[in-house]
Amino acid sequence: MIFLAKASEIPEGERKLVKVNGVDVAVFRQGGRFYALNNACPHRQGPLSRGTVEAAAEGAGCFVRCPMHGWRFDLATGDSNGRPANATVYAVDQRGEELYIEI
Amino acid sequence: MSIRMEQIQPIIDHEYAYLMAERPHWSLTKGDQDLELVAHALRVLLHMKTAPQHPDEYLALVDCQHADGGWGKMSSEKTSAAWVTAFCALMLIRGNLSLKNPRIAESVRKCVRYFLDTQKEDGKWSDPSWADLDAVSHPVSFFDVLMAVGPNLVDAPTMVRVRDSWRKGMKFMLERQDADGGWYDPEFHPTGVEITAHLIQDSIVADLVLGDEHQVRNCCQKGVMKLLSVQAADGSWDGENVDHTMDCTRSIMLVCSILGTRAQCDRTIERGLEWILKHKCEKGWPDFPGMETNLERTCDGLDTLLKYKTYSQPVTTALVKLWGYAA
Ligand code: FES
Repeated sequence: MIFLAKASEIPEGERKLVKVNGVDVAVFRQGGRFYALNNACPHRQGPLSRGTVEAAAEGAGCFVRCPMHGWRFDLATGDSNGRPANATVYAVDQRGEELYIEI
Repeated sequence: MSIRMEQIQPIIDHEYAYLMAERPHWSLTKGDQDLELVAHALRVLLHMKTAPQHPDEYLALVDCQHADGGWGKMSSEKTSAAWVTAFCALMLIRGNLSLKNPRIAESVRKCVRYFLDTQKEDGKWSDPSWADLDAVSHPVSFFDVLMAVGPNLVDAPTMVRVRDSWRKGMKFMLERQDADGGWYDPEFHPTGVEITAHLIQDSIVADLVLGDEHQVRNCCQKGVMKLLSVQAADGSWDGENVDHTMDCTRSIMLVCSILGTRAQCDRTIERGLEWILKHKCEKGWPDFPGMETNLERTCDGLDTLLKYKTYSQPVTTALVKLWGYAA
């Protein structure tokens, strides 16, 4: 596991771009939970850390919409809802104030 | 105009030199490539008027065309997709105005067949990577150009089918304009900015040049007004999105020139361009301010400057040619 960030660096509803082992990782905090995705959108490498976060109705998940051409990814699974490729997600392990991921 | 050509020309020269130095990363003569990037680069060659020095680049694109007339996202990919096929087709038909190569002409005919074969009943083309409106706009743009500069490339019965297909595509787009002048796609483009900029410049406004069959003047004017209304105070669009700011700036340049409403749009265009110049990397442009340079964005940046150069001249015909809607 590799250190990602301190939880306090990412307030609720915010995101942060972190370089981990040379990989740009977009970290989001939504509904008290942390999500980490490869920052490069699988369509044309648009920066997901600049995307818009959207919540599904009835608490059925949160999504990030790529700012370039609008593909939408499930923050937890990376699923793109039928687009040709999914985003890469990393499991976030929170240990107290510190966040770690496997990459 | 407060942005002077003496300011722009050195940037064009510098960026073009950079793009050519990066050729291994976009040229099909060097290996497998992302064809959307290739098409962006070929458009720069067209607008720099250097295509005749690079026929190999256009022929390499012909070499990786599929039997059905299409291309995939990567040159090695075997499945064709509508959006990238239209972009490649546009570069070939326009490139061949100066190259006059029979292999390219045959390739363009294959593209025509591809679009005639793959259009859906309701007038759209589908591409899982793009919103339906985007996927329709590019083939319609290709047909715009075919009708404007290459009707002799195909036989008369095919041309009749092209016109019919073009009408259906136009109808699909025109029926979907929102009352506020924008186009939206809830799946891909909730803000509607990029898609509106694309549609009015890439396909719809050409109708005015081609005889105004669909009477699109009002629709284009509303589209421009929508874009003007959502420009940020700093001159950018869509949350400092460099790509979308370039799209809007170029789109307004063409459409207001054809509509004869430049005076209304000059300041918006200048502010867009000033923002684009301010956020350049040392070489090329990024997707967002502060990010690393990106080759595709660099092609878009060069294209924007080249179009602005033409926009700064009083003759609208030259600008229309830069979009391919006149020979
Ligand atoms: S780069 Fe993300 S949707 Fe195109």
